[in-house]
Amino acid sequence: MSDRSKVVACGAGFAGDRTEPAVAFAASGMVDAIGLECLAERTLVPGLRARRADPEAGADPRLERRLRPLLPVAKANDCRVISNLGAANPAAAGRKIARLAREANCVGLRVAAVIGDDVSSLEDKIDWNDPVDGELLGAHAYLGVDALRDAVFEGADVIVTGRVADSALFSAEALPILLDDGDALAGATTVGHLLECSGQITGGNFEMPDGSSLSARDFASLGFPLARVFPDGSAEIGLLDGAPGRIDGLTCALQLLYEVHDPSRYITPDGTLDFTGVQFEEIGLNRVRVTGAKFRGRPSRLKVSGFVDQPGFIADIEIGYAGTHALQRGRIAADALRMRLDDFPSGAIRVDLVGIDSTLGSASLPPANRMPEVRVHVSAKCEDTTAAQVVEDEVYALTLSGPAGGGSVRSERRPSLAVIDGFIDRDLVRHEIVWETSS
Amino acid sequence: MRVGSIAVGRSGDKGSTLDLTLVALDDDGYRILESQLTEEVAQEAISRVMPGTLTRYPVPGLRALKFVIEDALPGGVYATLHAGLHWQKAAIWVLLDLELN
Repeated sequence: MSDRSKVVACGAGFAGDRTEPAVAFAASGMVDAIGLECLAERTLVPGLRARRADPEAGADPRLERRLRPLLPVAKANDCRVISNLGAANPAAAGRKIARLAREANCVGLRVAAVIGDDVSSLEDKIDWNDPVDGELLGAHAYLGVDALRDAVFEGADVIVTGRVADSALFSAEALPILLDDGDALAGATTVGHLLECSGQITGGNFEMPDGSSLSARDFASLGFPLARVFPDGSAEIGLLDGAPGRIDGLTCALQLLYEVHDPSRYITPDGTLDFTGVQFEEIGLNRVRVTGAKFRGRPSRLKVSGFVDQPGFIADIEIGYAGTHALQRGRIAADALRMRLDDFPSGAIRVDLVGIDSTLGSASLPPANRMPEVRVHVSAKCEDTTAAQVVEDEVYALTLSGPAGGGSVRSERRPSLAVIDGFIDRDLVRHEIVWETSS
Repeated sequence: MRVGSIAVGRSGDKGSTLDLTLVALDDDGYRILESQLTEEVAQEAISRVMPGTLTRYPVPGLRALKFVIEDALPGGVYATLHAGLHWQKAAIWVLLDLELN
């Protein structure tokens, strides 16, 4: 843990990610901070609903499962934990974490909760890209790394946030060593972007042209990434010694450009980044040096995500066919369903065959002649539960009044919810820190 | 020649926008992709599967091509009528399985 560099690791890349990699990082003693990215766009919504019913609720429901095994190990190894597990209620999450630490006999743990991302009280100041059509459940601004700065400099053991830029969960730790220039911050933010999807840079969601990838055993215990960040914002991406995975120029390039639009203008609250000059240098087995991100100014507005409750459901149902002629029976069942449900406008219903064309539609590869089994899928936009029930019943009815042997039926209803984007003047958004200490 | 024989790829999404990334394995592969997998060719391929307007961004320093399709996912990934959630994770195969002349 040199003064001239900081080691930051990714312990989670989404709310449901594996929990043991973070513990392994903490136990290694090699890591200054672990970032846990646990808050997707929509993950906030259950939290907002829970907070309405109970003012102390609204944090990620997995908080306890994730942090109970981690906190004592992290504290013992002087490793900071930084996470957006606070979801819709970071202040309550801070209190909960202090309580968890007490229960684990982890005394003196200092927790900093970052609040201020909830901008629903500034609703009239938000410039929405689309009209708010329905009840606005919540509005949250993407805070930048400046919201975490004081917590890092004042030595928080745990920093818990609501909505902040994912990259800030990782770049924050580097702030004390970063040079005071835009490109250094751009570099650290780029490192955050590279780390924030956990296994996606270490060989997950990756296949070579010849079809090779990591083995099942490697995927089952995939190492998550860490980075040693230097004052100029350059970094070395790697794995813990012995952890399975693959980090090279290809996995890094794919992750750098993941969910980026114009690569010369990737907008984050901490700066608009230019990735076109980024270079990846393979400096050892599963070790890549990253340089060259450029800072192109700091946006004057922050992105806001809004959640609008809308009536209705998407009903998503499947029925399976197996054995000789399975594909033929599936096709007939799909056609019968289209006839039964022809009062749905096109665009409000989709009927297709899982195993044949349900994912890529008309761009699907041609099917084999003899499919051992096939599933008919229908999804439909339904105004209410009664309408959803009708579609579900039509699929079930095929078991009696459709092709032979229809079965293995499954169904789900997904509530309708619109996620809308907007912008707010960053000067209007006030963030602050609420401290808790376990005693 | 199949695009996926000379490049690796990944799909991503933000709101209703789909983004597809291809990274060629070597300089020759990048030259082929850059010259043959034009905005028009890619637009035609993805239009068989989804709505939206495609923009291409070459990143020669990384041997990468970035394709961004606005309004490809109407209403966002949760409003999909595909089976289950996140079909778009497989959307990169629309390009990987494309045959170039």
